[in-house]
Amino acid sequence: MITIDIHKTLQNSNGTMSLAIQLTIEKGQLITLYGPSGSGKTSTLRILAGLMSPDTGHILVNDKKWIDTDKNIKLSPQQRKIGYVFQDYALFPNMTVRKNLEFALEKGQDKSIIEELIDIIALKKLQHKKPTTLSGGQQQRVALARALVRTPDILLLDEPLSALDVTMRSKLQDYITKVHKRYNLTTILVSHDIGEIIKMSDKIYCLEDGKIVRQGNPIHIFTNNQLSGKFQFTGKIITIKKEGVVYLVTVLIGNNVVKVIAQESEIAALKTGDLVVVASKAFNPVLMPIQT
Amino acid sequence: MNIFSGHIATIQVNESLSLVSIQMNEHITLQTIVVETPATVSYLQKENPIRVLFKETEVIIAKIATPQISILNSIEGTINTIEKGILLSKITIDTSIGVIVSILTTQAMDKLELAAQQKVVALIKSNEIMVAE
Repeated sequence: MITIDIHKTLQNSNGTMSLAIQLTIEKGQLITLYGPSGSGKTSTLRILAGLMSPDTGHILVNDKKWIDTDKNIKLSPQQRKIGYVFQDYALFPNMTVRKNLEFALEKGQDKSIIEELIDIIALKKLQHKKPTTLSGGQQQRVALARALVRTPDILLLDEPLSALDVTMRSKLQDYITKVHKRYNLTTILVSHDIGEIIKMSDKIYCLEDGKIVRQGNPIHIFTNNQLSGKFQFTGKIITIKKEGVVYLVTVLIGNNVVKVIAQESEIAALKTGDLVVVASKAFNPVLMPIQT
Repeated sequence: MNIFSGHIATIQVNESLSLVSIQMNEHITLQTIVVETPATVSYLQKENPIRVLFKETEVIIAKIATPQISILNSIEGTINTIEKGILLSKITIDTSIGVIVSILTTQAMDKLELAAQQKVVALIKSNEIMVAE
């Protein structure tokens, strides 16, 4: 469990901002910090990583004090078990993928973690290549693997996927979810992508002007709509086609394509690419066994 | 989606399910069965304002009130507009709770010889009505 209670006065483009964040994250959770630029998301991550100090406050990680300004306790970044992935990959260009990972090993650490990560994040074919010969998505996979070499207590992801195209992004989301579960990590994600947040996070904290203004389940936060329908998914609209007096809307839910008959008034506010909640009652679907 | 507002009149709970009756106006009460209970959602409380939602394709049309039928919800109204398509048609019905839209097969519409200004009854099964805050 991670308990954060930090205060810091920051200068941003609008002048002075007072960052005041209190949150508790259960071990194994993946939470998202969401909010406009300059609302304090990255500063919060930097304070967690030890790259910035709070004016006052404390951070407690699995009963260990990382910061306690009252008692003058402050662990250095190296003393904190943190994995950090940014939007730019910051890999060593002169080293192969494997060497980049090995470089992150602690002195005396068992090397088997490298093989394991290469296996999980599918880097086998890339391991002897230099980062500059890789695509953005591949480099980001290496950066993710490197952040996990020391099996961190906390994985910090600061918009790690925002420079990638949709397909690559979706793949990387799956890798992150996989390692998050595999290593029982506590992960803090900064993201602006609502689909990504709903897909990946257990809980979302909305920041405005350095404060948490809302928190909760991502679907409830974004849909603002407690619908009783139990057959409920979020998806992305692929096509909207008029068919006689109705519209046929094709929606991508995960890897499945579903079709929904909709009315003119329903699609008035919708366009291709929009995220939607697809809801029906628990009484309508039928279940069929699959022959295996 | 047909969306209307009402107030919760009664809630009958059995295990995970609730049969909720919603007062729409002084004449109309709608019944819906949901997989929620007052313990699972805060909005399921007597007298709370609530929205009811049902799909146009789930609205059944009858020309006369039909008491001998297993559908709990019936709302009388007058057909306002008809948009006839090849397979499906859309009709709007003025009722005391507002305009209800129904989408039905053109074949069914022709069979009933539906026309504007005609008095009809809109029927909705209680398992087709969703509720939201």
